[in-house]
Amino acid sequence: MESQALQELVRKIFSDEETKSQFAANPESVLSKFSLTECEKEAILRAQTKFGLTNSDSLQLSAAMPLDDFWL
Amino acid sequence: MLPDGLDGILRNEVEILLAPLSDNMSFCDLVKEVLNKTNPDLIKDTTRYKPWPLLPLLVCDAICGNWEQALPATAALQLLRSAADVFDDIEDADNTESVPAKYGIALAANTASVLVVLAEKGFTRLKDWGVTSDTVVKLIDTVNSYYAQACTGQHLDLSQAPEEATQEDAYLKLIGMKSAFAAECACYAGALLAGADQGLINLFTTFGCNLGMAAQIANDIRGITGLKDINNRKITLPVIFALGQAGQVHELLNSAFLKNDNKFVSSPRQIKDLLVNTGAIQYATIKMEIYKQQAMGVLNELERTEINIEQLRQFLD
Repeated sequence: MESQALQELVRKIFSDEETKSQFAANPESVLSKFSLTECEKEAILRAQTKFGLTNSDSLQLSAAMPLDDFWL
Repeated sequence: MLPDGLDGILRNEVEILLAPLSDNMSFCDLVKEVLNKTNPDLIKDTTRYKPWPLLPLLVCDAICGNWEQALPATAALQLLRSAADVFDDIEDADNTESVPAKYGIALAANTASVLVVLAEKGFTRLKDWGVTSDTVVKLIDTVNSYYAQACTGQHLDLSQAPEEATQEDAYLKLIGMKSAFAAECACYAGALLAGADQGLINLFTTFGCNLGMAAQIANDIRGITGLKDINNRKITLPVIFALGQAGQVHELLNSAFLKNDNKFVSSPRQIKDLLVNTGAIQYATIKMEIYKQQAMGVLNELERTEINIEQLRQFLD
């Protein structure tokens, strides 16, 4: 389901360098300012830990994706 | 208990399903080529790839400690997936390495048709493993409902205007119908054949659905980072997110994906970089994690009912 709060968070991080730096240093301090569900917060933190959301380029993000192509 | 070499056992079952074609080796070879294209040697190296084709067997074994009664259905589902893959290639016509591109639409369609027919025959072999007729009928009915839904999703995808493809909720519903259903259907088959009650079946189908959604979104991400979906102007989740941006980002992506006029003359790599720099890839990554988390939540609930979920965890690693 589409989440406005999640979209707002990501847009803010990637349009405002100060927010991006703050998120990289202390993600939870930024998350608390948005109306996110617990599930969304957990997913964001996991993604940041696994993929380095704010400091990865496309090659790094791609390399971190699981290799298998499922039945697709 | 799952044996070693389960992939070989599944391969043997598939060979049995292909037996009616044995009088025509060229046709049989083409069918095998399609099956191998979907999954080389049926099961890839599982140190790098997850054993998706084995999912019904793993679910069945997790519930009741036996897997054999799910074997014919697992093989049949492989044939159906391969058929769907070929029909998809015919309909999308965007893959120059596909079977229809290589052999022509007529041969490809005929090959996909026989895979569907042989899959339906494959389900009837369940009776040889002691599965009741009522259960076989229920399974065939539900599997065909899933595939009818997939065709409906494909119809929507093929017939909608590009502008209609830019809403996230509609897109997530579409990929649920077209792609994620395969994992949900596989989990349904395994749970039904294990003798699970409806509550347990529902849990496993929820697990499968979330698993499938996560896998499709991962595929969307790879489609951008590998440029394939950009080159094909395919509107997927990262693009939908970025199209929601105001200003120049929206104009550029609107031109590239909706109007296809290259007004801003952006190379695929420029578009990819834009999608990374605006957080579109990262947004899709978070959405993928949400579905994985939801799938893990179901596994944790199943573990509390003493179902052995260890073999299923690997799909979420």
